[in-house]
Amino acid sequence: MGIRSLAVSRSRLQDLGLFGPKGRLNPHCLLSSWPCGAVSWGGGGGAEDMVVLRAGLCPGLTEEMIQLLRANGIRTVVDFVSSDLEEVAQKCSLSYKALVAVRRVLLAQFSAFPTNGADLYEELKSSTAILPTGSPSLDQLLDSGLYTGEVTELMGAPGSGKTQVCLGIAASVSLGLKQHVLFLDSTGGFTASRLYQILRARAEDGEEQLEALQRIQVVRVFNIYEMLSALQELRDRLSQQVVSSMGPLKIVVIDSVSAVIYPLLGGKHSEGLAIMMQLARELKTLAKEFSLAVVVTNQVTRESSTGPLKPALGRSWSFVPSTRVLLESKEATWEKATTQRVASLAKSSRQPTGIQVELDIGNGDVQELSPATLTQGL
Amino acid sequence: MQREVGSLPLAPALRAKLVAAGFQTAQELLETGPCGLSKELGISKEEALEALQVVRQECPGDVARTAGGSGITRKCTALELLEEEQAQGSIITFCSALDSILGGGVQLTKITEICGAPGVGKTQLCMQLAVDVQIPECFGGVAGEAVFIDTEGSFMVDRVVDIATACVQHCQLIAEAHQEEDHLKALETFSLESILSHIYYFRCRDYIELLAQVYLLPDFLSEHSKVRLVVVDGIAFPFRHDFEDLSLRTRLLNGLAQQLIIIAHDHKSAVVLTNQMTTRIGQNQSTLVPALVSWLPRCAASSCHSKCRRY
Repeated sequence: MGIRSLAVSRSRLQDLGLFGPKGRLNPHCLLSSWPCGAVSWGGGGGAEDMVVLRAGLCPGLTEEMIQLLRANGIRTVVDFVSSDLEEVAQKCSLSYKALVAVRRVLLAQFSAFPTNGADLYEELKSSTAILPTGSPSLDQLLDSGLYTGEVTELMGAPGSGKTQVCLGIAASVSLGLKQHVLFLDSTGGFTASRLYQILRARAEDGEEQLEALQRIQVVRVFNIYEMLSALQELRDRLSQQVVSSMGPLKIVVIDSVSAVIYPLLGGKHSEGLAIMMQLARELKTLAKEFSLAVVVTNQVTRESSTGPLKPALGRSWSFVPSTRVLLESKEATWEKATTQRVASLAKSSRQPTGIQVELDIGNGDVQELSPATLTQGL
Repeated sequence: MQREVGSLPLAPALRAKLVAAGFQTAQELLETGPCGLSKELGISKEEALEALQVVRQECPGDVARTAGGSGITRKCTALELLEEEQAQGSIITFCSALDSILGGGVQLTKITEICGAPGVGKTQLCMQLAVDVQIPECFGGVAGEAVFIDTEGSFMVDRVVDIATACVQHCQLIAEAHQEEDHLKALETFSLESILSHIYYFRCRDYIELLAQVYLLPDFLSEHSKVRLVVVDGIAFPFRHDFEDLSLRTRLLNGLAQQLIIIAHDHKSAVVLTNQMTTRIGQNQSTLVPALVSWLPRCAASSCHSKCRRY
């Protein structure tokens, strides 16, 4: 997380007309003004910049003004704000002062607010939580757990244990932290009886197990639009702070993301890519705005039949998760069934990549049969 | 209601026009109305109306949402799911070893894949399941009907007749041993003719027919709501030969898999697929693995790769 410290004085901001409605700087919107990685995402609902000009959008913007502006090719807020007001005043025969006033109000309404790096750090310290995954070796790999405000990805071949790890995470957050979990299942792989088994192995009390089960909400989404719809519903619910059966939500698990996107990628149309980035943006905004930890699972592919494994969904998706863990099974063959898995860190902003730990996905318990091996990456 | 225009299931050309015109959220679309929309985008009023209907469906008004009834997403708590799963039956295979590794039988709402070398008995097992799904509930079955999609042409009706006759005899023996009312009543309707008439057989000769059949299946299943088993015998066969574009094949298979998952879940039926085996030539030896390995992830929950032996 690159913390840039900007000391911007309040009076300067007032001159620019960049003050929020409550008179406070909004730190979340910092993210929209600094491109991070290859995906720059808007900091929530305030940064819509392609809004069509409409009467009543702000005081001073009348219907006749809009007609005159439209006649000269200015249709959206961006067009208005980026045009030369003197020219516009001349061409549309409108008063220059009125135009400047309207622009100031529009900027205040629609632009993002920069913030001070130190303030940002304080905010993050108070709002970020680290959620345990239920398996100490995996926690060690992830630098003590799943961070809220970030997207973590688990990738692996079929049968490598991704769904099992997700179930373990859901059980641990629900049982240990008593927080609510939202589980979006797109493969039909969520088995409640397996989750119950894991809970039984971790907690003795039947009451606790039932309560933990009630805190995990499962939504089955089998195509990309249903998934987007479910995420949108979650966003509405969280922003309206409706206190319903959904209590304090801290984590969203999506198993799996590649199942709904794979059928759309490839071919001649770039539709699939566009909608994949929609999903990416939705996940990132959810994570950052509402301080949620988002866990997604992904498949792996190979270049050729003997090449190394690489994550599916391509380069564009690789910028979305901040942490990537690869799961592999250890010497599993048809004859010998095993619950041993090896998790290695493929991408992380906090730890050196290449670290490997051993995982037992058996009964969600934490027995490691050999000490974790630490192999330094390049 | 701040649903982005890009995330709505509209036609790509329409979506491009909307974005070019400056619309960002669904709310703006609904506020503009069909006449304004058709004027702004230069499309006909009918198209605008259709688009708005799609938008309205995707984003129900706030009233509907706060009332808690949102039929689009299938959601429940894990506890409710657990109760559902425990109450669900499974389709027995009449082979106790197989039933025990499957956890009671072929699970409903899940996809099960059976792979094996040629001649090992995959189609026989599928035919057995198509009969077993019809066993009445008092005998421990799920009392459902079966859909059999055949791509290889290996379905033998005379063999099904043998299996069905044996099954009816088995149930008759149980009824005689227990002498209960409902057993005898159930036996009246459980006969060879009824078994055969409740197996719906489809023959698909190539991958296009297979895809079409699977995509049309939900309509068929909503008319025949008692179907509890869908068998696709030979899922890999139509895709293995005559396919130049491999990425297209992967995409089609993934789409097919999602469709089968939806069918399994929405209609509470078990989906059973049979797959061929292929040889993976390694460095020292060659191993038999299921064909179309990239297909494997789709058989999410219970994918049972049974290496059957001949009896």
